[in-house]
Amino acid sequence: MSTHKSEIKIRVNNLTKRFGDMTVLDNITFEIAAGELVAIVGPTGCGKTTFLNTLSKLMPATNGQILIDGEEANPRKHNISYVFQEPTCLPWRTVRENVAYGMEVKGVMHQERMERTDKIMEIVGLSSCAELYPNQVSASMIQRIAVSRAFAVEPDLLLMDEPYGQLDVKLRYYLEDELITLWQKLQSTVLFVTHNIEEAVYVAERILVLSNKPTTVKAEITVDLPRPRNFLDPKFMEIRRQVTELIRWW
Amino acid sequence: MPYKEVVVKKPLLLKALPFLSIGAFLLLWEWVIASGLVPSVLLAPPSEVFTLFIDKLTSSNPDGAVLAVHAWTSLQEAFLGYGLSLLVGIPLGLAMGWFKIVEGLARPIFELIRPIPPIAWIPLTVFWFGIGLTGKVFIIWIAGIVPCVINSYVGVRMTQPTLIQMARTYGATDWQIFRQICIPSALPMVFGALQIALAYCWTNLVGAELLAADTGLGYLITMGGRLGRPDIVVLGMVSVGISGAILGFIIDCVEKKLLAGIRR
Repeated sequence: MSTHKSEIKIRVNNLTKRFGDMTVLDNITFEIAAGELVAIVGPTGCGKTTFLNTLSKLMPATNGQILIDGEEANPRKHNISYVFQEPTCLPWRTVRENVAYGMEVKGVMHQERMERTDKIMEIVGLSSCAELYPNQVSASMIQRIAVSRAFAVEPDLLLMDEPYGQLDVKLRYYLEDELITLWQKLQSTVLFVTHNIEEAVYVAERILVLSNKPTTVKAEITVDLPRPRNFLDPKFMEIRRQVTELIRWW
Repeated sequence: MPYKEVVVKKPLLLKALPFLSIGAFLLLWEWVIASGLVPSVLLAPPSEVFTLFIDKLTSSNPDGAVLAVHAWTSLQEAFLGYGLSLLVGIPLGLAMGWFKIVEGLARPIFELIRPIPPIAWIPLTVFWFGIGLTGKVFIIWIAGIVPCVINSYVGVRMTQPTLIQMARTYGATDWQIFRQICIPSALPMVFGALQIALAYCWTNLVGAELLAADTGLGYLITMGGRLGRPDIVVLGMVSVGISGAILGFIIDCVEKKLLAGIRR
């Protein structure tokens, strides 16, 4: 997987978001290539969630553009998926129906929907609990359902807002590997927001470091390490140190 | 695969408690009359009510109909009114919760009508519908619609915002979000409304039957009063109580089956 792919999938131009006279996002500009996994890290409270909400069009931007394949992003037209920090499973649907929900909204035909659902559930190991309800599975399963649902729509852009922030370390490693597997198999374009630097270095091909409010892209670091990555690899530690230096707020 | 319920064994004593409390209540009731603490012209003891109950199963004296006929009339009225209030109230409440236009139009009127007790409608009802079935159903409908609207409205309003956002990012339309997210997540509240509305309808039955009737449990109670027969009054009251409890129990069972996934 090379970092500089020819085809630009997402282009964000001068994205600015103000609430009254408080500027939260200040002239953010960056690009993501098709099939790239980019992580965004930044100090706590730097507006990461606002950033994602604006990108996903849940919130109107004050200024600037978000282009997907050269067109203004539109959730009705483009496949945008968003994995939230909080659990977003629909409690009245079984695990399978939850995974299929995004495709259902998108109007994917029944046959194809079922095939894709089965395929993804197989990859992430949800098949055994396909017919259970979310209140019968564990917290990590719940997040897996949300991630599977997001990948299942074959998104143009997949946004992830600290999806594993609430899980313990061991499970997180496990799910990060799973995320990488999914991403490699399905070749989606992913923007992964986290405050965990190690996680960012572990999953991403490129890391965008955000500044304090008003938030802007402070630096960009390419993570050119082979996979599977090793946390103890000196190069890994060097990149982690580099990113840490950039977002130090202490 | 159906939702599996985990069966937890209750200790025998806990199971026996409801029977104990009812038994003790009946005994106490019998005793206050037998001991002369309450004169029997003011209240009939349970034994007498039970005898009358057996008698009323076959005899139409002195109020003109057997108990089953009274109960059947009341059930018909209550269910017609109840059904209509669900039919109108739930969709209205759900729509008020999600669509700003519906809320803006319907809410002020609803808020004005809501505090008026259903029996206050009786005189107007007599002008409009006379004293037949329609009038009674109307009163019961008014009584039942209030909790339907409120609960459905609040149910939609309480939908978890991230679920709505999640659907929006997939490009769901307002209508899709309403149908696929808000309505299912409002269902526990709506089922609450079924229970409350049933209670409201059933309690206003007596009021509605004050309208003039020749059968019905409410009529039985009024007749008992007019004839100075506390046993008839109590039999009417107990019948209203027991049938209401049975209906509530049925709704509870249906709810448990339908809401398997949502119950925590």
